[in-house]
Amino acid sequence: MVGMSLLRSAAAFAARLGPLKAGNNAANIITRTIPRTDKVAIRWGHGKKLFVVKPSDFYDRRFLRLLQYYILLTGIPVVVFVTAVNVFIGEAELAEIPEGYEPEHWEYYKHPITRWIVRNIYDSPVKDYEKMMAAIQIEKEKADMRMTQLEVRRQMRQTGDGPWFQVPTLDKKLIDHSPKSSPDN
Amino acid sequence: MPKDFNKEAYPEPPRQTPVVDKQTALPNPALILSKVFYYTVDLPVTTFRDTIDSVRSKNKLVYYHQKFRRVPDLTECQEGDYPCYYEAEMQWRRDYKVDQEIVKVVQERMRACQQREGNSYQQNCTKEIQQFHEVTKNFQSRYGDLGAYASARKCLMKQKARMMAAQAQSA
Repeated sequence: MVGMSLLRSAAAFAARLGPLKAGNNAANIITRTIPRTDKVAIRWGHGKKLFVVKPSDFYDRRFLRLLQYYILLTGIPVVVFVTAVNVFIGEAELAEIPEGYEPEHWEYYKHPITRWIVRNIYDSPVKDYEKMMAAIQIEKEKADMRMTQLEVRRQMRQTGDGPWFQVPTLDKKLIDHSPKSSPDN
Repeated sequence: MPKDFNKEAYPEPPRQTPVVDKQTALPNPALILSKVFYYTVDLPVTTFRDTIDSVRSKNKLVYYHQKFRRVPDLTECQEGDYPCYYEAEMQWRRDYKVDQEIVKVVQERMRACQQREGNSYQQNCTKEIQQFHEVTKNFQSRYGDLGAYASARKCLMKQKARMMAAQAQSA
């Protein structure tokens, strides 16, 4: 008890010596805890907050953010549209061709978007077939004409009685026969 | 499987549900689990499907399988008649695709049979196995090593080689 009063008077004396020093308050000079600088935090939430030195990831994160944005800008409407088509219109069902009925060329496909594309954007397969056959026919006629031209060339060169391979020569009326008519000139 | 599959080709195995002979008062865990599965998974999925179908049933679309007319074969074309060659080639390609699908169907039947019979498949599915062997042998002999650039001409030449080999063997 005496020691306690001695300590208290010592604390008052120390407070009197340095009143401006922080922590030298007479009230708590005995009862204050010694500050431990290695274990500072009062609540153990996420540990000590550190400033981690690492290279900037701003550009990477910006790239990923912009990528996400531009993909989703058209991605989400497309997904919503396709889902709506699948839910509200739905795929076609297989059926037998009724008697005497010629189905249109898009009625051979199942998904409604495929049907729309085939109906409005693509040509009908009959038309494609005919286009191909027309191209083949034109090429065949060209090849036949080239073959006949080669044959005609050959014939005309050989027989010589056609309009091709005629070599222009002088007119035979220009020949002066006078030195040939009298042999001993 | 689609609803209109061939019932003779895929016969259903006889049901083997045992007679219930409960001798304890304890609840059957398999029954409990199946009921739980039904109420948590089966019922919501079925109701969802039914709602979507009721929305869809207003505009019902149908599609058909196209039937193609038969055109003259490669053997019936004049020489140098390239449009005829083209039509024969397209017909041959369609027939090739159809034959590939036939082989797939026969293969599927054999696999279904093996799955059904379990460990005794070799003696119980002789018909399917024999059909599969026959179909694949024919497919191999006709379209076998034609490769990726197969055409009607190459197939015809292969047939000619086959006929020549058969003649050489029989002579």
